[in-house]
Amino acid sequence: MSGHTNAGELERYADGEIEGQDVAAIEEHLAACASCATAVVSHLQMKRAVRAAFSASAPPDALRARISGQLRGTSGSPAAWPRAAWWVAAAAILALAVTSALLIDARRASSVRELADLHATTLASSSPVDVLSTDRHTVKPWFEGKVPFSVPVPSLESTPFRLIGGRVVYWRGRPGAYLLVNKGAHRISVFVFMAETVPTRPATTAVSGFNSVAWRSDGLQYVAVADIAREELDRLKDAFTGSR
Amino acid sequence: MPDPSRVDEFEKVAMPLFTALYNHARWLTGDRADAEDIVQETYLKAYRGFASFTPGTNLRAWMYRILRNTFLTARSGLRALESIDDDPAEIEQLPAGETPESVLFHRANAETLRRAIEALPLQFREVLLLCDVENLGYKEIAEMLSIPIGTVTSRLLRARKKVRQAIEEDIVRGSR
Repeated sequence: MSGHTNAGELERYADGEIEGQDVAAIEEHLAACASCATAVVSHLQMKRAVRAAFSASAPPDALRARISGQLRGTSGSPAAWPRAAWWVAAAAILALAVTSALLIDARRASSVRELADLHATTLASSSPVDVLSTDRHTVKPWFEGKVPFSVPVPSLESTPFRLIGGRVVYWRGRPGAYLLVNKGAHRISVFVFMAETVPTRPATTAVSGFNSVAWRSDGLQYVAVADIAREELDRLKDAFTGSR
Repeated sequence: MPDPSRVDEFEKVAMPLFTALYNHARWLTGDRADAEDIVQETYLKAYRGFASFTPGTNLRAWMYRILRNTFLTARSGLRALESIDDDPAEIEQLPAGETPESVLFHRANAETLRRAIEALPLQFREVLLLCDVENLGYKEIAEMLSIPIGTVTSRLLRARKKVRQAIEEDIVRGSR
């Protein structure tokens, strides 16, 4: 590539919109061009600053309950709800949240909460997997062309885990690989996304009755979610990270 | 009386979007109370219209559209729509190799940045926040707002340019 990259292309690069060989070409240029590299850094700083300025408050739990109640026909339309009463309840909840250590991890936990919801939703659906096979040599190539990365499906031989199958999932608009793994009667969801597309790094934590273990490897973000003990999920993680 | 199992089914897929929709409503309206009303209205409309949603398609985009329409038809929304000119010619004028700034964003405080973004016309603010806060790709933004991808790109460029200008002006003012 001769000459500079144009400003629009650098911005598209910073937004992750450049694909394939074009990425290599741009990065080759950036390695040699300080002004374009500075521009990319500045774009990324701005993106981060925008996200920090607008990744807001956790929504009030009272609102969630209110919506649920309304859907079930047990409360009135929005205009009829006594807002004053809501404020009192919210103040109490907020005071609790502020003093709770959970608030510190709220953002990281909310990532996991979304995945826990996705875990529940996927398992509850009529077809939790689109490729049904215990053979990783069938499941891995199935993902080609469906997700923008190569999905590492490890051998689970001599582990207590069994691959059941996989499907494509979307999280905040990004496509990722979903693997369903069984341990006895327990079902474990393993989500795999490109690390750079994950907005907030998921935590290894417990939420809504599930445990989760999160890890990154080779540019991919993994999150395993299940209602089994953390140590057992760690063993599954070892199966993934141990095999290359 | 709504069928509780139908509500459960809807909530199972729709409630995971609650946080994202609430934040989206917050920065569309700039006001917490309005945001709550809009989110509540959105869920009600989505539930009522759920039969028309095709399973397997993008639920999030579908609910965002409902939320956006709800916002626009409410009083605050009508005021928010300013006419902007989606003229792509302006983009071509940015010279290759020279980029408009070496403004270091860690120097800009969050308050200034937030004000600058809130001052943007809605159409610019939307694409910027959908890209940087919701982490949607250009194609997804285009689908969600029913606009061409080229319009997404040009609005993003212009939104960011305006924000940078506001930050620069603020830094200059602060150093006088």
